[in-house]
This record gives sequence, C-alpha cells and structure tokens, in this order.
Amino acid sequence: MQNQPIHATNNGSASNPHAGQTLSGAEILVQVLADEGVDVVFGYSGGAILPTYDAIFVHNQQHVTTHGGKQPMPLIVPANEQGAGFMAAGYARASGKVGVAVVTSGPGATNTVTPVRDCMADSVPIVVICGQVPTSAIGSDAFQEAPVAGVMGAVAKHVFLVTDPEKLEATLRTAFEIARTGRPGPVVVDIPKDVQNWRGVFKGEGRLPFPGYRQRMNKLARSVLGDQECARFWALLTQSKRPLIYAGGGVVNGAAAAELREFAREFRIPVVTTLMALGAIDTTDELSMSMLGMHGAAYANYAVIDCDFLFALGARFDDRVAGDSQRFAGNARTIAQIDIDASEINKVKATQWSHVGSLAEALQALTAYGRKNKLTISTDGWLKHCDELKKKYAMNYDRESDLIQPYYLIEEINRLTQGRAIITTGVGQHQMWAAQYFDFQGPRQWLTSGSMGTMGFGLPAAIGAQFAHPDKLVIDIDGDASIRMNLGELETVTTYELPVKVVVLNNNGDGMVKQWQKLFFKGRLSASDKSLHKKDFIKAAQADGFPFAVRLDRKQDVARVVKEFIEFKGPAFLEVNIDTEAGVYPMVGPGQSYEQMITGDFIPTRAIAKAEEKLDESKMF
Amino acid sequence: MSNKRHIISILLQNEVGALSRVAGLFSNRGYNIESLNVAPTEDPTVSRITLVTTGTEAVLVQIVNQSLKLVDVVNVDDLTRDAHIERELLLIKLRHSSEQSEALRNTLAQAGAKILSDDPKSFVLELTDSEARISSFISTIGQHCEVLEVVRSGALAVLSGVETLRS
Repeated sequence: MQNQPIHATNNGSASNPHAGQTLSGAEILVQVLADEGVDVVFGYSGGAILPTYDAIFVHNQQHVTTHGGKQPMPLIVPANEQGAGFMAAGYARASGKVGVAVVTSGPGATNTVTPVRDCMADSVPIVVICGQVPTSAIGSDAFQEAPVAGVMGAVAKHVFLVTDPEKLEATLRTAFEIARTGRPGPVVVDIPKDVQNWRGVFKGEGRLPFPGYRQRMNKLARSVLGDQECARFWALLTQSKRPLIYAGGGVVNGAAAAELREFAREFRIPVVTTLMALGAIDTTDELSMSMLGMHGAAYANYAVIDCDFLFALGARFDDRVAGDSQRFAGNARTIAQIDIDASEINKVKATQWSHVGSLAEALQALTAYGRKNKLTISTDGWLKHCDELKKKYAMNYDRESDLIQPYYLIEEINRLTQGRAIITTGVGQHQMWAAQYFDFQGPRQWLTSGSMGTMGFGLPAAIGAQFAHPDKLVIDIDGDASIRMNLGELETVTTYELPVKVVVLNNNGDGMVKQWQKLFFKGRLSASDKSLHKKDFIKAAQADGFPFAVRLDRKQDVARVVKEFIEFKGPAFLEVNIDTEAGVYPMVGPGQSYEQMITGDFIPTRAIAKAEEKLDESKMF
Repeated sequence: MSNKRHIISILLQNEVGALSRVAGLFSNRGYNIESLNVAPTEDPTVSRITLVTTGTEAVLVQIVNQSLKLVDVVNVDDLTRDAHIERELLLIKLRHSSEQSEALRNTLAQAGAKILSDDPKSFVLELTDSEARISSFISTIGQHCEVLEVVRSGALAVLSGVETLRS
C-alpha cells in the first residue's frame, strides 16, 4: 500500500492555499479564523475594529455562493459587548469548540471583561479579539483607549497586544492553541488599528514560541498512568466498601463523560456531580446520585457524608461544594483526585492518591487495569444504601400549593424535553431549581455560570448555543432579575430568527438574595424586592418581536401552556409568576458542613441540624 | 504549618504585560512579596525574576503551580528546596562624621563593604552578601552614623552545581 499524503491541518501548513498572498492584517485575521474552523463570530463594531469588520464582510460576500448560499462566518451583533462574550461562551460550552467575539477598543473591550473572567472561572475556551487605538496613540489617553493588556491580564488565561504586525498571524493561531489546550480558558488578542491595516505576506503556518507552556503541555500529554500507579489506586479502592465518584466540570471540558460512565458501570460506583458536571452521567442513570453541594440533593450530600472513598474527577472542592473543607467527606479514608491542572491537587483537601493529566486517558487506564487483573469491589450493599437515600430523601416541594411552584413548572418542561434540551440559566434561585429538577442525558446540555455566578448569562449563552446547535431545543431558564441584566439580547433572538425558548420565573426580585436576607439578615429585604417595579415582560418581548409571548399565572394552565410554548416553532417567551416565597432547598449554609444541611419543609432530614451553631459572618459568602 | 522564607526564581518570556501578570498573580491570590528583582538573562527573549516570599509548605506548592499556569512563564523553581547560592547587592549612603570615621572604616573593612564615593559630607558604600547579613550590616552601621538612603537589589539566587532553571 502506498503511504497516504498527510493532509493539511488547521494548525497552519505551508500547503495553506492562501500562503504567499499579500493581505491586510485584518484579512490575515479572518483567514486564520477560517482556518481554525470558526463558523460564527459575535461582536459589536466601532472605530478601532472597522478594518476587521470590513474584512469579515468581504470574506462572507466572497464565499457565500460556494457555501450553499450561507455566509461562512456570520457576524452576530448583540445589544452590548457583554452579550457577545457570553454568546461566544455559550457557543463554546455547547459545542466544545473555541467561541469567538470581536469587539472594538475601549468600552467594547472592557464590556467583555465579565464574560472573559466568567470563562476563566469555568474553564471555557474563547478568543476575544479587540480593536485597539493605533500603535502610535497607545498610552496617550486616546479616544476609546483602554489598557486592555493590563485589565484582561488579570482575568484571562492569556492576553496578547500585537505591536509587531509581522507577528499577527502567528499570534492569532497561538491564541486558539492556548484557549483549547490544557485547562481551557479565554485568550484576548488586542490589535491596534494600524496593525489591522498593515499589508504583508500571509504565511499560512507558524505559531509564536512558548517554550515553557508547550513543554508543560507535552508533559501533560505524556503523563499516562503506569501500572504501578494503577496498582496503588486499586489497592486503595479495593479496601473501600463505600466508594463515591465526585465528578466536576473537568469531565465535561476534558471530554471524559464516556470514560466516566464506563468506569462507574464496570465497577458499580455511584456518582455525584457538581453544578458544572450535570450531564457527565445521565441524570436518570441508576448510578447517578445527582448534584452535591450547597443546594445539592439531600441524598447526594448524605452519600458524601457516608462514603469511605471519594474519587474527585476534574473537580476542585470549591466553597459551594466543600464550604467546610475540614469536615467535607469526613468519613472518607481515601481521597483520590485526577485533574489536568496540578494546582488543583491538594489545594483544598489533601489526597492519598492523585494524578495530573488527561482525565479520559487516566480513566481508561484505571478501567483497563481493573479488568485485566479482574479486580472487583462489592458495592451491592452500598448501592442499596444509596438507593434508599435517593428514595427517602428525594427532591420534593409543596405539590398541593395553589400557587405555581417553580419546581412544578420545571418538571412540566422536563416531562416534554426528556433530558434532551440544552438549558441555560441566569444566576440565583431559578438556576438552582433548574439544576435540581431538569434531567440531562449528556454533557454540554447544561450551560450555567458556575464559578463567577454572573447574572445575565442565560439569554446570550442560549443565543450562542443555538448557533452551535441550530436544530436542538435551547431553553433559557431565567429569573426576572437576571434577565434584566442583558434584556437587550431579546431583540438579538428575533433579529436572527432563533427558535430560542425563554422562560422567566418571576418572583418579583432577587430571590436568592431574599432567601439569604430571610435566613441571615432578619428578613430585611434591602434592595432585593422588585414588587413595585413597572416592567411588563410580555410587552417587552412583544416589542422585541417575539411572536409567542405568554404570561402564566394560574396553576391549572401550566401543562397546556408549557406544551404550546415548547412546541412553538420560532422564538418564544414565557413569563411565569411563581410563588414568591418559594425557596431553594436543601441548603448547606455558607461555611457549614453537610451534617448541618437544612432540607426545608418537604424533604426529610436525616439528622437534626445544629441550627444553634453560630455562623462566622465574615465567612458567609 | 509554619511560614518559612523561600526564594522563587521565575524565567519569563519578554512579552507585553508579562511582569504585571506575575505580580498580579501574587497580589490577586494573597501571596506576599518581600523582595523582587527582574533582569535580562543569557537569552535575550527571557528575563529572570527572583522573588522572596514567605508561606507554609502548602502555599509554596500553590505559588509554584499557579505561576506555572502563566503562559509566558518558561520555568519556576523554589531554590530554597535545593543547594543554592544567594546574594544581595546593597548601595547605602551615609552622612559623614569625621570623629567616628576610623571606627566606621574598621566596620566597613570587616564586613567587606567597598566605598564607592567619599566626599566631605557623605559616603556611598557597596556591599554584596546574603539578605540576612545585609540587614544586619545596615543596623550595625546605623549605630555608627546616620543612614541617608538604602538601595537594595533584593535577593538573587542560583542553584549550586551544573543544574540550571532551564534544565
């Protein structure tokens, strides 16, 4: 057989058909985006980015006929650059590909600081390209100038300021590489206007030298679990009677959901997931113990208390999971951990076994070793115990209430979508209810601002996700306060005729803030009650062109209206006036241990919570 | 766990904002910097940062691992974990006092300090030594005459033997 020629990859190759052409900096930028497989960009125009916007326009015009009448790189315009950043993030979270936002200098760039930090905190790969004032004007307090390298340097995985136009092409290619390799994250490329207008030869290949970073990436790639380490892991696991997998966002980001499921099923080990890992295991799987943490399922948290071996996979023991890190999983004799990021090992909780490297490969190695050596653990009793926990302490709420309970509304949507929809959220009570009551068959269906907790995330993220998956059902479950933060993006939904479904669970204010004020501030609702606000969400949605905009305020209408809403073919908006007193339970107070969890009026509690224990207010965040 | 003094050496690519990212990492994560030195190396694309910090063992592991996440960091090491050589450069300006000058000159000779400028009103001295001995020299000399200005490089350090931070 003849050797097959090696095909050019999008990492840059001399066989790039455009190599050798003289192009403007802006045209080079667009060509690198095209080579990287970018099929949509989100952004808002302005003076310092005009050359690039023109180059995107020309690129789309030139390729529209060879692209089946569609623009190869549509430019989606938000109401505010924060929206563009979250659209890119929603696209990236839903697809696993790098999302791209292109914005102008000054306010355009600073408006994306929040989504960039949000992506850093949740390890989401995006590239943000910012126009910058011309090189000669940098540092002169020019019109629409902001110190982007300094501002973004503190929040992004990496920032480039391109002052040498000869390096533009390599810089852009490197930006994509850095965004998607190792622990993924946001990369910002700040490009002065004169660099966009410069003309030079497109090389079609080449990246910037990053000897340290690449060496570390190569080391990660070579970091395979050897037999000795597998043996040590199995020696610990086989001593365990009550093992529990604690799966985090790294399982989703590291594309290790299949390996997680295989490992868990092969050796019959139950799985709790963090907020970020919902869908890593099908939430209806018999081994799934749902979400743990501050608002985790009671049975998930009880399983964490009861386990004697905790296996953290791409999870980082953050304060919403291990508020009291000392007492977290206090009965676990072994804590084992795998992460792509060495700094997460032993950061919060000391481990007895750990590995830094690819999660998928490590799990494959552990599964193979277990099979090869016919290793088993008898978890029958433990699984029976977990099953009893699941039944006895199941999620529940006031089903007899005459008011619309948010949980009921979500259950009704879930009954129709069956764990197949892509769900985005804002931040607060509605986010936790959605996490608790929706099912997710697979990863990348649940898009939420986990670490940063950015209100306003839901609507733009849903728009980005719909571009990643034009044929899937995308639902933004939002709150009345969260959606206000980026309400301008309602119009973006209809402008691009996206069939996004928007649900506003309206409880007249910042529900989670009110919940904390009731618990910790004697019920003084400082600045969180919006019952006197005048906003008519239905009129707002109608004004922005939503053909379906319905308000639900009677319980008996829920099933019928939800069905009409979900089955509607175009953009649809549903406002639901929910019980304003509805709370999020269970709840582990900030800084408290799972033993102190309160479960509310409708979920039984296993032990009496030590309510009298005084909280340290400085730790209450 | 007790706080100990550590010398961290960082090789850093000369990129826009690279130094501020390292400094920002320390301030954003609440690690302290007792001294900081940045200067070019044998490789024109790389600078070397030497910084002195204090922290527990766990904090030091975090400092090294978090620094290694900065894309333009070539390598990081806690030199105090291995055999190393440490030096600091001191430039110090003292007010001249003729009646004490004999005693003063003896102290300087003992410490190995060099007089760089000597005018009727002031001395400028140079001393290279460990950070601890520089500090003790400054307090001793302050008993002999008035210290006008202290300029210190911060600690510099290099691993003993053939091993380098690059390797």
